[in-house]
Amino acid sequence: MLGRFKRLWDAKPMKTHYDAVIIGGGLHGLATAYFLARNHGLTDVAVIEKRYIGFGAAGRNTAIVRANQRTQENLPLYKEALDLWPVLTRELDFNLMFYNCGNLNLAHSEAALKAMRLQVASAQFQGIDSRLLDAKECRELVPALDISDRPRYPIFGGMFHPPGGIVRHDAVVWGLARGAAKRGVHIHQGTSATGIGVEGGKAAWVDTDRGRIRTPRVLNAAGAYSAGLANRFLGQRLPISVLTIQAMVTQPLKPLLHHVVSSGAYHCYANQTLKGEIATGAHMDPWPNYTTQTTAHYIKHQAEAVTEFLPCLKGLKFMRTWGGLADMTPDMAPIMDGHSPAEGYYLDCGWGYFGFKSSTVTGKYMAQYMATGECPEILKPFALKRFEEHRLMGETAALVDYTANN
Amino acid sequence: MNRLKHLPTLRITPGAARSFTYGKHTFEGLQGDTVATALFANGVRVFGRSLKYHRPRGLYSLDGECSNTLMEVDGVPNVRTETTPLTAGIRVAAQNVMGRPELDLLGVLDAFSWAMPAGFYYRMFHRPARVWPLAIQQIRKAAGLGRLSPDFRMPGRFDEIYPAADVCVLGGGPAGLSAALAAAERGLRVILLEARPWLGGAFEYRAADDGDGVALHRKARDLAAAVAARPEIRVFTQAPAIGVYSDGQVTAFQRGGPDQSFDERYIEIRAAAVVVATGCGERPLLFEHNERPGVMQPACAQRLARTWGLLAGTEAVFSVGHDLGLEAAVDLFDLGLKVAAVADIREDGQDPTLVKALAQRNIPLLKGWVARKAHGGNRVTGATLTSVNGRFHRRLTCDLLAAAAGLTPATGPLTLAQSQLAFDPHTGYFLPRTLPKGLQAAGRLLGLESWAAVTASGRRAGLQAAADAGADCQAAIRESEAALRDLPGAVRGSKFVIAPGCGRKAFICFDEDTTVKNVDQAMAMGFDVPELIKRFTSAGTGPGQGGIPGHNLPLYVAQTGLSPDAHPRPTTARPPLVPTLLATYAGAQHDMSKRTPLHDLQVACGGRMERVGVWTRARRFTDDPRCRTEILNVRTNVGLLDASTLGKFLIFGPDALKALQRVYVSDMARMTPGRAKYSAMCNDDGCITDDGVVVQTAENDYYFTTSTARAGVTVEWFRYHTRYDGWCYHLVNLTDAYGVLNLAGPKAREVLSRVTTADVSNAAFPYMGYREMAIHGVPVRALRLGFVGELSYELHVPSSYMPALWDLLMEAGRLEGIRPFGLEAQNALRMEKGHLIIGSESEQRTTLHDVGLGFLWQREKADQRLVGAAALMQTERQPGRLKLVGFKMADPSGPPPRDGSPIVDARIRGYVCTARYSFTLKEPVGLALVEDGLAQEGARLAIYEDGCQGQLTHAVVTPYPFYDPEGRRLRQ
Ligand SMILES: Cc1cc2nc3c(=O)[nH]c(=O)nc-3n(C[C@H](O)[C@H](O)[C@H](O)COP(=O)(O)OP(=O)(O)OC[C@H]3O[C@@H](n4cnc5c(N)ncnc54)[C@H](O)[C@@H]3O)c2cc1C
Repeated sequence: MLGRFKRLWDAKPMKTHYDAVIIGGGLHGLATAYFLARNHGLTDVAVIEKRYIGFGAAGRNTAIVRANQRTQENLPLYKEALDLWPVLTRELDFNLMFYNCGNLNLAHSEAALKAMRLQVASAQFQGIDSRLLDAKECRELVPALDISDRPRYPIFGGMFHPPGGIVRHDAVVWGLARGAAKRGVHIHQGTSATGIGVEGGKAAWVDTDRGRIRTPRVLNAAGAYSAGLANRFLGQRLPISVLTIQAMVTQPLKPLLHHVVSSGAYHCYANQTLKGEIATGAHMDPWPNYTTQTTAHYIKHQAEAVTEFLPCLKGLKFMRTWGGLADMTPDMAPIMDGHSPAEGYYLDCGWGYFGFKSSTVTGKYMAQYMATGECPEILKPFALKRFEEHRLMGETAALVDYTANN
Repeated sequence: MNRLKHLPTLRITPGAARSFTYGKHTFEGLQGDTVATALFANGVRVFGRSLKYHRPRGLYSLDGECSNTLMEVDGVPNVRTETTPLTAGIRVAAQNVMGRPELDLLGVLDAFSWAMPAGFYYRMFHRPARVWPLAIQQIRKAAGLGRLSPDFRMPGRFDEIYPAADVCVLGGGPAGLSAALAAAERGLRVILLEARPWLGGAFEYRAADDGDGVALHRKARDLAAAVAARPEIRVFTQAPAIGVYSDGQVTAFQRGGPDQSFDERYIEIRAAAVVVATGCGERPLLFEHNERPGVMQPACAQRLARTWGLLAGTEAVFSVGHDLGLEAAVDLFDLGLKVAAVADIREDGQDPTLVKALAQRNIPLLKGWVARKAHGGNRVTGATLTSVNGRFHRRLTCDLLAAAAGLTPATGPLTLAQSQLAFDPHTGYFLPRTLPKGLQAAGRLLGLESWAAVTASGRRAGLQAAADAGADCQAAIRESEAALRDLPGAVRGSKFVIAPGCGRKAFICFDEDTTVKNVDQAMAMGFDVPELIKRFTSAGTGPGQGGIPGHNLPLYVAQTGLSPDAHPRPTTARPPLVPTLLATYAGAQHDMSKRTPLHDLQVACGGRMERVGVWTRARRFTDDPRCRTEILNVRTNVGLLDASTLGKFLIFGPDALKALQRVYVSDMARMTPGRAKYSAMCNDDGCITDDGVVVQTAENDYYFTTSTARAGVTVEWFRYHTRYDGWCYHLVNLTDAYGVLNLAGPKAREVLSRVTTADVSNAAFPYMGYREMAIHGVPVRALRLGFVGELSYELHVPSSYMPALWDLLMEAGRLEGIRPFGLEAQNALRMEKGHLIIGSESEQRTTLHDVGLGFLWQREKADQRLVGAAALMQTERQPGRLKLVGFKMADPSGPPPRDGSPIVDARIRGYVCTARYSFTLKEPVGLALVEDGLAQEGARLAIYEDGCQGQLTHAVVTPYPFYDPEGRRLRQ
């Protein structure tokens, strides 16, 4: 039933040439490697990871998945991603633990309800299940909610999205790594990319702290470090600000919350993991920085916020808090692009605090892009060019600014 | 159970009984008991069941390192009973049991542990796929320890305080006490945090002496008394530190009680320097069934006796690796415990006095021996000892197996403070390799053992911290360092982790039921560094927060020789170091909302108040959500709106105009005195961020308004965008200092003229005019604007005058039928007039051009480097953008579409921003953002409302303003 305790992926010696090199052993890098091998027969692929796979945001996120984005450019991508969890679980023969519990997003004002109406109707228009609820219906779903007038921001209603839920983030990292390695992909942990070489306008090699690798295809999927690498290696400037985002869990508990609950007004979400802990987080630190340190302010804020609408949680204890990095673009949508400034150089970053849910499907299309050289239709709206043209994507309605001038 | 009496170290008050319930029983404990010691005194040995295998668990340590003694107390789950003081009348219940802790029906799971190897979740339950949804429910039920009701409301008083100090000392043992005294003697203010209810640390209960005949507990108490006597030192007991951050920020919480003003409070300290003197705990020893009830740490057994007068058993076996363990055996023997044998991992190096003491008491000491297995089920009945080479065994009968591999330093605060720890082969500890500025470490944490060395190290750290905090004490520091050098240094510590030849059930983590075997499995699968093993096996991620496996896991992994880490590397500690109630973090939970000066008056008028951003504002004044009477009253009579939340600013100085030119899209040089100028601000993408009016009040002197939402960021915005220019101007934010009343409606002038002698005739005070006038002596900045589409006056007055002005106007307008109106009425009124609200008719990506305000932009301002100028140029004629349009319904008898509804054809082409039934025009009208292809007059819009099931409604693009397009009413 259980098989032997074999290595999930082997440490192979590093070669001096690969058909493709992927910088970053996070979710996006591993998913792209997996699909390169699976869908395109490109198995001579190396994933270069500075520390160990899942060291970055892949191992720090809270793994909430959903497909109720705001714009029609984003919706199909996330929808496909959501449908992929059970498929990949079977295909990888690794339990990714997709817990399809649905997401309830609370509205605390008329304006929030209006914003939700656009999201709900847009999802419905695309055939995605999403509904508006009034406060009482919210409480029927989540009996722990306080729908009285007592909270600072009383609950006006909510947006319920049954197809969403949570996934075990580590399982995705390990499952993809195992699946890719099985198909011949080399995973080099403890290896840093230190440069990208260009010859005649084409990507030609990747330098690492363990030597040079020649390759015609390079993917920059270094998460929060992508923008820094792009600038250092190729002089490419990306409109990305990196901010710390913190999350925390309480002590484990018998089942209490049966859905992901989130609130924009309180900058807060909470869900109960399969281990029984209540995981909560949401807000980013207000200034760009590259540390993963936590702050005294944040954990306190979080306790204040989450217990406003889920007051019973006051009887729980926080067990640990941690920080990760979010690479934020000005419009809260990612950058997926290729062949600029060098042919054969690809980019998949700017995933902020929302790039877990889409990682597998993005890997699929980025693999297609890298294998064929042609950008798949579904990725076209995410090109870098949109910022030069001042055409923001509209994934966020609110005026946000993540740069140092906010 | 009979308690030991007359010990000088006892902390209980005999005779002060406290009764409480445990399940169906009513028990009695004593004042000074913890919940756990009271249960123990009443014969409870099995405190709960383990997470996965439902193994019985008992008292193991007394400082909450593991989940063994977590219980539900008064409805609160996962309470660490071993650190919770007993109070009378509490209700205590065991957790994670089906039946009783002693007889748990799920105890059978223990026999199936082979089926749950490391990471088994990842490799099970997903084939076939339909099993998984069912498995999830079972997994969820099995997971978690305590239970919380959704209706639970946390009782008690919670508070928060933010004290400051020069030096903050963590740990109230002799090292911390000495550090606090040393700093206080230099005249510095000290805060000392101690988790236990009393000071003295690991010396406070010891009867031994250092050869001078004075018992250590005596010395510890004297030192504590000296600290208590110093006014410079503020001592917090029952106050564990939970976080240490940069720049001397320390967080903690403190337990209070009936005698204090709080039951628990959050403490956030700012100190110039921090001393970490958190000492050591005992490092668990791994052997077969190393967590059976009756297996406990030697210090746990010793403290039970010394502090609470409880003998943990009748006959004991000790298996230790440290002198303190030997001392505990001697001490407990003297208190009446039979000791069958003491095994010591060390072949040699024991303190000779302790060896002699054991011999004098005829206690066999087996050097180079260790416990290999605990026998028994709900209680230990015996122990098998083995020589460390695994060759020889001996089985002994006992009901207490006091076992520890050695000591483990409490380095959590150091790690949190960004100190780098490195493995030290001499002590076997992770010791600080670097200490960030302002951070000191002292005491047993560094491997020191004797009273003299521990206190001297504390003194040195205290002086060093004093220097970090600015005191001049270099000479004293040198002296203290010399004194320390003459004393015994760090003692050699054991690195032993696991007994030879033990089987499957040696637990490295109690909380998660992780065995050493599981660690081996994880390593075989490629998880070969502690941090990954932790993730794959869950070891150290439970409520004990790494207390049990924290030190052993890296030691063990390094010993396997299979890890790429040649030297043990510590796993990461994260705040909070001690699990902390959300109620405590939330503290007083102050509500920081802002109220306008008219809050109470509006409530008195029936205002329905709502939170809007940082403010509380009146949405409407009647039951009618559509606000018909409020709206029509403004259109036909006169209404009064509290607009105090508008941003209000002064800008003055020789470069004030340049600054305005930089951020406002219009040519701000073209301003006429006495006239307001409407303009907007954009960001670098040309997207509209703000609009408002500016008036020139004198030379180089301007007054301007911003939207409510932008008031908070406006000063920063100006400063940021002029940061390299060195311009001389000043900005004053008057948002809270001034209130605003909007007097609007065809009869507004009559009302205003009744309260002022100023000439408010159309000629003297025309549309877009600005006047400074007096109303009954109150200085007023009056602006004649028309946001709601009527003759209206915005009256800006100092906040304190606002209630008076409100009363005056309400009184003056009585004949005209004046009545207040709220946000909803304003929203409908301004929409009929085609005036936009940023954030409502625009979003993040909407440019000035998109909302039809491009005419405000003065492109000839090139030399002013207007923020967003390049983008405004580029996007001016850009195709494919969403444009703001007006619309009316194809069927005017139907309802207006709901705000936010998408506009579609084969794809989504835009959405409704605001739509209302217009009581003035007697049909629905609205504003929408739609793709430019749909933006021409007459275009048909198909609206997809949520829940419409594909039934579209239709609208037609119509020019706006819908109401009074020529603007006659504003100018009347
Ligand atoms: C606290 C938190 C909560 C989150 N919650 C959610 C959520 O609920 N739902 C959701 O969808 N998303 C969530 N996210 C976001 C999500 O985790 C990220 O968007 C996603 O992990 C991005 O994946 P990635 O592969 O691009 O980057 P990463 O996972 O960060 O991987 C990048 C990798 O590149 C490596 N690397 C960097 N530089 C180099 C170099 N020079 N050479 C080699 N390797 C290098 C790094 O070590 C790292 O392992 C959250 C993020 C955080 C931090």
